Amino acid sequence: MNRIEKQLNECKENNEKAFITYLTAGLGGMDATKKIIKAQEGITDVLELGIPFSDPIADGPVIQEASFDAINEGASLRKTFELMKELRSEGCEQAILFMMYYNTILNVGLDEFAKRCKECGVDGLIVPDLPFEEQEDLQEALDRYDATILIQLVAPISADRIPEILKNARGFVYCVSTMGVTGGDAQFHSKVIDYLSNVKSHSKIPVMMGFGIREAKDVEPMKDIIDGAIVGSHFIKLLRKADYDPNAAKEYVSTFRREMNA
Amino acid sequence: MNAKAYFGQYGGQYVSESLMNVLDEIDNEFEKAIRDEEFLKEYHYYLKEYVGRETPLYLAENLSKKYGTKIYLKREDLNHTGAHKINNVIGQILLAKRMGKTKIIAETGAGQHGVATATGCALFGMECTVYMGSEDVKRQALNVMRMEMLGAEVVSVESGSNTLKDATNEAIRTWAKRAEDTFYIIGSAIGPYPYPKMVKEFQSCISREAKKQHFEKEGKLPDVVMACVGGGSNSIGMFADFIDEKDVELIGVEAAGKGIDTNEHAASMARGRIGVLHGTRSYLLQDEDGNIQLAHSISAGLDYPGVGPEHAYLKDTGRAKYVPITDEEAMSALMELTREEGIIPAIESAHAMAYAIKKAKEMDANQSMIICLSGRGDKDVNTISDYLDGKGYLN
Repeated sequence: MNRIEKQLNECKENNEKAFITYLTAGLGGMDATKKIIKAQEGITDVLELGIPFSDPIADGPVIQEASFDAINEGASLRKTFELMKELRSEGCEQAILFMMYYNTILNVGLDEFAKRCKECGVDGLIVPDLPFEEQEDLQEALDRYDATILIQLVAPISADRIPEILKNARGFVYCVSTMGVTGGDAQFHSKVIDYLSNVKSHSKIPVMMGFGIREAKDVEPMKDIIDGAIVGSHFIKLLRKADYDPNAAKEYVSTFRREMNA
Repeated sequence: MNAKAYFGQYGGQYVSESLMNVLDEIDNEFEKAIRDEEFLKEYHYYLKEYVGRETPLYLAENLSKKYGTKIYLKREDLNHTGAHKINNVIGQILLAKRMGKTKIIAETGAGQHGVATATGCALFGMECTVYMGSEDVKRQALNVMRMEMLGAEVVSVESGSNTLKDATNEAIRTWAKRAEDTFYIIGSAIGPYPYPKMVKEFQSCISREAKKQHFEKEGKLPDVVMACVGGGSNSIGMFADFIDEKDVELIGVEAAGKGIDTNEHAASMARGRIGVLHGTRSYLLQDEDGNIQLAHSISAGLDYPGVGPEHAYLKDTGRAKYVPITDEEAMSALMELTREEGIIPAIESAHAMAYAIKKAKEMDANQSMIICLSGRGDKDVNTISDYLDGKGYLN
């Protein structure tokens, strides 16, 4: 079974909310990324590794800057695949997905990319500039190797698109909390509760909310609807401040997950 | 896959989910508008009375004599605001108005599309924000001032390379945030569907007029039609009505900067690989990791690492040919046109002029070509002066 699905099933069985963090791969160096991943093992349910790209149009300033800095520090998809392979060979069973832009995938070639994902134990993908209508080619390539799942995103104005998008969705559905880009200070969409309830009513898989979340209390108002939360920009800010100290990561994710489930 | 969003394998809608319903709404409204006589009447009214169309198809007498073939210039430089950009702005702003949007955003590189958008917004009473890379804000101070005089807010974008590519990223991000009340006017033949289609439609007045004018003067179709290509808006407008005329040779001229074998050019057709940027799939300048490379051209309007999807398709099918012209060749053609005909072209348009001079040498006195003179050179006098002084240029 896919590690993401397995982990989220476990959360459901234990009646727990799931927690997902995002980290730009190679920010502060690949070693730092590896340590921060290891520090979260067994606490954070799913890890998102952002593959840095020169033109991240779905990202706000924090992740843009992280992406830019990581590229300058030599980060790349190739190195992130190597890191994944290393982690898996060391017995790491953490659910990990890549968040990346479509051009980086096209650059490798769809088949080769899907193959590498399987070889290196990449459990899932989030591709923010690949909406439902454009997913066919990538989905076909992923199906050939049957290892990596494509996560579906929905937005506050997706409305009548939701049933179609969720039809064959796997893993979890990523609900973008607000219009626009990653980051922000918990300024969610004005109709966020209606929107999340609508998604929840159509979804057979866990509903996760992301964009603009910093602490567990930010998701308190929608706690009864969603199955968990995703933190990216805030996590990166915190890590930068702590000079990529794995202990800071561990403390933050432990606290968030505990408070969300309190 | 949404087949109507594609030209062969190029185009598409590579944007975040937040924008998909918005694009659908724009497409539906656009299709209604261009079939609505009232809308078309209003659009053509402003093209005539405000923009100053139709623009002349001028026989460049001295150059024609010099090269022994008929060289016609489609004078888009005579439009209000000095370039073809306003044709598309008027169309898209009327569409925005029709959709009940009150706020407009746009990206700009050299500032021509920004100025045209700010102009349209002043005319129609819309709130206007223009995103411009901080490098371009410095290089094009005069256009920044024009936009501000026209009442637009110019946002200086500090991210990535601080140029057009990054300004476009920021405009797309802002649009994704504010799409509920904001219309994004894209100036190039790029972006997610239906933008390339809309830009082509609103720029096709160039070829519609030119075809008719050429018939009036010569009683036949031209042998060659030529335009410069950055994102590809003036060229797609110049090609539009000739695409189905198989005997007319179509040539797009892209910027070779310091040469296509250097690292400093904007020749996405000659040197790019297929990829996705700014919502569309096309030829792109990119490195081995798939990161987008910086383009270089002495002309800010051609300084873009990608190209419109329909151009990529026209290249692959062989319907149009794309050729590179260096900074140096363009500047020499700029001076030649200035001295021979008394017309100072934009450096962008001078690229088309440079290839026209090469091409003319293969043609005879019974043949004719049309070159799209997409803009005037007033905006470029600082760059021209630095270049002539041998100081090089900021780019």
